[in-house]
Amino acid sequence: MTLLDAIPTLSTLASGGAEHFAYHVAEAGPKWMALVPGLPLLGAVICLAMLLFKRDMGGRSRVPAYLVTALLGISFVVTLIGFLQWNHGQPWVVHAFEWINVAWGSGAGQSLQANASFYMDGLSWLWMLFVTGLGAAICLYASEYMANDKGYARFFSAFALFVVSMSCLVMGDNLVMLYLGWEGVGLCSYLLIGYFYTKPSAVAAAKKAFIVNRIGDLGLALGLYLTFTTFGTVQYDELFAMVSAGVDGSGHSLAGTWQATWIPLLLMIGAFGKSAQFPLYVWLPDAMEGPTPVSALIHAATMVTAGVYLIARMYPLFLMDEALTALHVVAYVGTFTAFLAATIGMAQFDIKRIMAYSTLSQLGYMFAGLGVLTTNGAAYHVFTHAFFKATLFLACGAVMHGFAGQLDLRKLSGLWNMKGWRIVSVAMLVGCLNLSGIPVITAGFWSKDMIIAEAFTTPNQVIAGSSLIGWVLLITAGMTAYYTFRVFFRVFVGPVEFEPGDEAHGHGDDDDHGHGGDDHGHAGHDAHGHGDGHFHPHAPGWAINFVLAALAIGSTVAILPNFMGDHGWVGGLLHDSTAFYQSGFGHHEAPAGEHALANSKMEVVPVAAHSAPAHGAPSHDSAPDAHAAGEVHANSFLGMNAHAVMYYVSTLFGLAGLAFAAYLHGPVGAWSFGIGNRTKAAVSRADGWKRAIGPIGRWAEHKWYVDEFYDLILRTPLRVIAHIFHAFDKLIIDGALVDGAGLLPRLLGRTLRPMQSGVLHGYATGMAAGIGIIVLIVLVMTLS
Amino acid sequence: MMLWALILIPLLTAALIASGPRGAARGTAMLGSLISLFIAGLAAFQFDWGNSGAMQLGGSVPFLPSFGVEFSLGVDAVALALILLTALLQPLMVLGSFSAITSDEKTYYAWLMALMAPMVGVFAARDLLFFYVCFELTLVPMFILISLFGSTNRKKAAIKFFLYTFTGSILALAGLVYVAWKASAQTGAWSWDIATLQMVAQSMSLKEQSWVMLAMLAGFAVKIPLFPVHTWLPLAHTEAPTAGSVVLAGVLLKLGTYAVYRFVLPFVPAAVAEYAEAIALLSIVGIVYAGLICWVQRDVKKLVAYSSVSHLGFCVLGMVAINLIGAQGSLLYMINHGLSTGALFFCIGMMYERYHTRSMDELGGLAKKMPIWAFFMGFFTMASVGLPGLNGFVSEFMCLLGTFQSGAEGVGGVRGPLGFWFAAIAGTGMIVAAIYLLYMVGKVVFGPLKEPAGHGHHDDAHGHAHLPQDLTGREIGVLVPLAIGCVVLGVYPTPVLKAFEAPIQHTLAAYDGVNFEDFDGEDDDHGLALVALPAQGEAR
Amino acid sequence: MLINLLASHAAPQLHAAIEGGLGAITLYHYLFVAMVMFALGVIGFLARRNLIIMFLSTELMFQGAGLALIAFSRYHFNHTGEVFVIFVLTVAAAEAALALALVVLLFRQRESLDAQEWSSLQG
Repeated sequence: MTLLDAIPTLSTLASGGAEHFAYHVAEAGPKWMALVPGLPLLGAVICLAMLLFKRDMGGRSRVPAYLVTALLGISFVVTLIGFLQWNHGQPWVVHAFEWINVAWGSGAGQSLQANASFYMDGLSWLWMLFVTGLGAAICLYASEYMANDKGYARFFSAFALFVVSMSCLVMGDNLVMLYLGWEGVGLCSYLLIGYFYTKPSAVAAAKKAFIVNRIGDLGLALGLYLTFTTFGTVQYDELFAMVSAGVDGSGHSLAGTWQATWIPLLLMIGAFGKSAQFPLYVWLPDAMEGPTPVSALIHAATMVTAGVYLIARMYPLFLMDEALTALHVVAYVGTFTAFLAATIGMAQFDIKRIMAYSTLSQLGYMFAGLGVLTTNGAAYHVFTHAFFKATLFLACGAVMHGFAGQLDLRKLSGLWNMKGWRIVSVAMLVGCLNLSGIPVITAGFWSKDMIIAEAFTTPNQVIAGSSLIGWVLLITAGMTAYYTFRVFFRVFVGPVEFEPGDEAHGHGDDDDHGHGGDDHGHAGHDAHGHGDGHFHPHAPGWAINFVLAALAIGSTVAILPNFMGDHGWVGGLLHDSTAFYQSGFGHHEAPAGEHALANSKMEVVPVAAHSAPAHGAPSHDSAPDAHAAGEVHANSFLGMNAHAVMYYVSTLFGLAGLAFAAYLHGPVGAWSFGIGNRTKAAVSRADGWKRAIGPIGRWAEHKWYVDEFYDLILRTPLRVIAHIFHAFDKLIIDGALVDGAGLLPRLLGRTLRPMQSGVLHGYATGMAAGIGIIVLIVLVMTLS
Repeated sequence: MMLWALILIPLLTAALIASGPRGAARGTAMLGSLISLFIAGLAAFQFDWGNSGAMQLGGSVPFLPSFGVEFSLGVDAVALALILLTALLQPLMVLGSFSAITSDEKTYYAWLMALMAPMVGVFAARDLLFFYVCFELTLVPMFILISLFGSTNRKKAAIKFFLYTFTGSILALAGLVYVAWKASAQTGAWSWDIATLQMVAQSMSLKEQSWVMLAMLAGFAVKIPLFPVHTWLPLAHTEAPTAGSVVLAGVLLKLGTYAVYRFVLPFVPAAVAEYAEAIALLSIVGIVYAGLICWVQRDVKKLVAYSSVSHLGFCVLGMVAINLIGAQGSLLYMINHGLSTGALFFCIGMMYERYHTRSMDELGGLAKKMPIWAFFMGFFTMASVGLPGLNGFVSEFMCLLGTFQSGAEGVGGVRGPLGFWFAAIAGTGMIVAAIYLLYMVGKVVFGPLKEPAGHGHHDDAHGHAHLPQDLTGREIGVLVPLAIGCVVLGVYPTPVLKAFEAPIQHTLAAYDGVNFEDFDGEDDDHGLALVALPAQGEAR
Repeated sequence: MLINLLASHAAPQLHAAIEGGLGAITLYHYLFVAMVMFALGVIGFLARRNLIIMFLSTELMFQGAGLALIAFSRYHFNHTGEVFVIFVLTVAAAEAALALALVVLLFRQRESLDAQEWSSLQG
C-alpha cells in the first residue's frame, strides 16, 4: 500500500478555476536515477559483446534474455523507488555529465548547454514507469517468443538499447537529450523492424520507418533550433521559467510573435512523425514486419507515444500562441488519423495489421485529446493504451508463434476451445474490451471518454470545430469496437479450425533458421513450416502466458488510477508537470461524476444537478484564457454536460459496433448473443456486405492507396531528379565543363604540333630567324 | 621539436622502406607510423590545453631569409586535433593494407608514409609558403598511390585529381602571394608569417578582399570539394586503393576546409560577410545534390565518395555561419567525417578484398556471411547518418544550429549572414542522407544473400592473400579504434569543444566589427563598411 | 643587308684603320671579324647537312663569340671576358669530344652523316 500512499492528493492544487502550468523550481535529484538508462545500456553492451565475441552459442544461449529482463526489472524498481521518494510538485534535475556545452559569452543566451541530465516531473515519471515496467514484462515474453532465433543476442541488445533511448527521450532535461532519445528509438525501431534482415519486406519496412521518421525529425530539429534562438536555452527548467513568465530569452513578450506560432508547429511535425500521424503514418503498419514483442513495446505502447509526450512536455510552448494554431492542427490531424486508420483497420485480414491500424487510430485519439486541451485525457489514454495494446499485440504474437506465422483471420477460428489457448484468449478478450471502450469495466473506456467528452466541452471559440471532432471521435469509437471484435469473433470463438502459416514468426527466412527448424524437428517441437496436414499448433509456454495474464490484469487495474484523487492519478501526476493545463471549461465537474459513477456503478448523478456550467475563471497570464476572457463558456453535448452524458453516448456507440461485429462475424451460439451465424473460419456474412459496398471495401483494404500515392508523387519524382542530377553531374559538370576545360590545352597542343618537325635544320632556322627578328627589333628601336 | 619529428619521421621511414628489403616494408611502415602516433600523443600531452588558442610547440628555421621565408611551425588546438587525426589514421591505413597490397610493397608503403609528412606540415605551418608547399606536396604521393595501386580506371583518376586540385591551388597561391606582396609593400620587408599577413589582409579594401577570397576559394573549394568543383573526388575515391580513399576522405579533404578556416575566414572577413550567402548556397546545393546522386549509384564506393561531397557541405555551411556554434560544429565535422567516412572506406575495402566487386547489383545480404563486418558497416553508417550518441550527430547538429542561429535575431547577441531557410533546406540533407545510406545498407548488408557469380573459385586468382569469410583480428583491429573514436566524440565531445573554443574565438574576432544585416555601406561607423561602399560596383 | 648596315655604321673607323696602319685597329675591327665568323657559322649550320660540318660551324660560332668577348675585355680593361672565354673553350672542348662521339654513334646507326636522317623527335 505504499504505492497508494504515494499517490498524490490534489491538496496542492489551487481549488477551482482554470489553472495553467505553474513553474516550479527544480531541485537536485539523486544521482542513482542515472541507473534507469544505465542498467539497460549495460545489458545492451554485454549482449553486443557476446555477439561480437561469439559467446552467444550461435543464438542458443539464454543469457541475453534473462540478463536484459533482469536489468530492465531492476531499472523499473529503481524508477519506482525514485518515484516514491519524489517530492510531488518539484521536479528533480539529475546531472550526469556534460555532453554538448559551449559558451561564447557570459550573457543571457550566450551558451548552448545540452548535458546528459535528467528532468523528472510527473510526466516523466508516468512515462518511465510504464516504459521500464512494460519493457521488463515484454522482455520476459520475448525470452520465450524469440527462443528459436539465432539472433537472440542481437534482439535483446537492440531491445535494451531501445529502453535506454526511450529513457533519454523521456528523462532528458533538455531538448537535445530528447532529440538524442528520439533518434535513438528510431534507430532501435529500424534495427528491430529489420530484425529478420534477410527478408526484403522487413528491410524495406525498416528503411521506410527510419526515413519517414527523419522527415518528422527535421521538423523537431528546426523547432529545437527556433526554441534555442528564441529562448537562448534548450533546458527545460530555464525554458519553462521563461514561458511561464511569457517572455523570450531577451525578456521581450512572446505575445503575438511569429516564434510563438512556429515553435509549436515545428515541434508538432516531429511528433507526427514519431507517433505516426497523418500524413507521416505510413511507416507504422509496415513496421509490423518486426517480431511481435517489438510491435507490442515499441510500435504500440511506448515509442509511438513519444509524440504525445513531446507535445505534453512542451505544452506551455503550445499555449504561447494566442490562436492555438498548432493545437488546432494537432486536433484535426489526430481526429482525421483516428478515423482514417479505423476505416482501413475494418478492411484488413491480417490481425497484426489490424492492431497496427488500431494503434494509429488510438494515437489519433491521444492527439485529438492534446488538441482539445486535455493533456490529462491524452496521457491517461497513453497509459491505458500501453497496457491493453501490449496485451493485444502479445496475444496476436502468441497466435502467430503457435500457428507458424498464421495471421489471416480467415484461416483461424475457435482458439478459445483449443487446449492451452485459454489464457491467450482471455487476454485477447480483455484487450478487445478495452480497445472497444466497453463501459465501466475497462480502462480504455474511461480514458477514451475523457478525450471525447473534452472535445465536446471545449468551446468552439477556443478550438474551432471541437464539436465536430467529438462526433468524429464518437463514430470512430463505434468503428473501433467493430473491427476489434471482428478479430475476436473470427479468431477466438466459433468452430475450431486452423491452417498453419508458412513460416516461423513471420519471417520467410530460409537459411538462418534452417538449423533452428531442424533442431526443433528433432526436439519434438512442432515442425514449423511443414504444412502437410500434420501440423500441431504449439500452445504458449509459461513466460508468454504469465506475461499475458499480468498485462490483462494490468489493463483492468489501470481503471483504478482514474479514481485516485480529484483528477485521477494521472491527472495528479500531470499537475506536477509541464503538461498541466486545466481549461476550466467545466472540467472540474467531471471528477464528481466519476466518483459517483465509481460508487454506484451505473448510476450517474444526472447532469444538471451538479454541473453548473463551467465558468473558467481565467488565469491572468495565460494566452488562451486571456483570449477567452471569461466569456467563453463550456460547450455542451446537445445541450447536456458532455462529461456526464458521454458515458452513455459512447457506450451506445461502442455497443453498436460490437453488435455489428457480432452480426457480421459472430459464430453461431452464445458468444455473439445469438445474432451471429458463422460456421466456418473463412466465410461470414461480411463477405456479402463487402460485395454490396463495391469498390470502397477494396480501396479500404488497399489502405486507400496512400502508399502508392506517396510513391507516385514523392519517391518516383525524387528518384527521377536524382537520376537527372547524376546525368547532369556526369555529362555537364564533369563532362562538358571539367573535361572541356581540360581539352583546351590539348587542342592548343594539337594546333602547334606541326611546328615540331623533328628536323634539325628546321629548328636551327627557326632559332636563327628568331635571333634575326630580335636583332632587327633592337636595331629598329635603337636607330629610330 | 615534436612537430618537426612528426614531419621528419614519416619521411625517414619512407626512405628506410625504399632502401630496405621488400619483406620489411610493411613492418617498417607500421613501426614508423606507430612512433609518429606516439609522438603525436606526446605532443597532445605537452600541449597546454588551458591556453588552447595560442600557437604552441612551435619553432622556426629560416629558409630564404631575404624573402622572409621560414620553416615555421606551431599548433593551436584545432591544428593539433587534426594532426592527431592524421597520426591516428596512419597506422590504421598501414595495417589495413596488409592483405590488399601484395606486390610492389616497397613503393606503396614508402609513398604512403611520405604522404604523412606534408599533411602534418599543412596543419602545423605558421609560414604561408611552407603551408603552400606542404599543401601541394600531398599531391605527389597521392598521385602515385592512385596511379600505381588503384583499380581499372586509375590513370585517368590520378591525372584528373592532380591537375584539378593543382590548377585550383595555383590560383590560391596567387591570392596568398598578393597578400604577402601587399604586406611587403606596407612594411618594406617580405614576410610570410601567417599572423602578420592576417593583419594586413584584414585591412584591405572589400574589392581586394573579394578577389583574394575568390582566388583562395578557387584552390580550397576544389580540395574540399565544394559543389560545382567536386567531380574529381568520386573518381579519385573510387579508383584509389583502400588506404588512399581513407586518407583522402580522412585528411586530404580536410586540408581544404582547414585552409578555409585558417586563411579565408580570418584574412578576408569583409568579403566573407559579403559573400557568405553565396558560399552557403553552394554548400547547400552540394548537400542535397550530391546526396540525391548517392541514391542512384550502383557502386558502393562511389556512393560513399559522393556522400563526402554532401557531408562537407555541412562543414562549410557551419563555417560561414560565422558564429561559435557553427564553427565548433564545422571543426568537429572535419574530425568526425575523417573517422566515420574513413572507416566506411575501410569496410568497403574489406568487402572488396573478398568479393572483388563493389557493385550493389552483385552483392546483397552480406550480414549473413560476415556478421562482424555487417556490424561495423552498420555502425559507421549510423555515425555517418548523424545518429545522436555517435559523433556525426554532434557536429551536424551544431553546424545546422549555427546556421540557424546565424540569421536569427535571437538572444545571445549572435548575428550572421545565414538563417532559418539555410538551415531548413540544408536540414533536408539529413533526410537525404538517411535515404541513401539506408539504401546502401539495405542493399549490401541486409536482404537475401547475393554473391557475385563464381565467387569462391578464384579467390587466389587475383594474387590476394586468402581471407576468411568474416573479418580477421587484424581487420577488426583497424576498425575498433575508429569505432571507439566515434562513440567517444559522440557521447563526450565536451573536452574537444572546450579546447576549440579559444582558437575559434580568436578567428571570429575578425568579425567583431562586421555588420551582417546591413552591408550596403550605409553605416559608416567602422572601416569595413566604409571601404565597401565604393568598391562594390567594381568587385562584381 | 644586316652586314651592310653594320659595316656602313662602322665604315669611318674602318677607313681610319686602313689609313693609319695596324696600330690603329679598334674594337670595331674585332667585332666585325667576330660577326663575320659567327655569321659564317650560322650559314654553315643552316646550309649544310653533314653532321660534322654542322658541328664545325657551331665551333665557328663559338669562336666568333669568344673573339667578341676578348675584344670587349680588352676594351674595358678587365679580365672577366677573358676568364669567361677560357671557360667557354673548356666547355667547347668537352662538348667537341661528346659531340664527335655522338656523331660516330649516329653514323653507325644509319651509315650516313646526313642530319635529315634523324627526325624521329617530330611531334
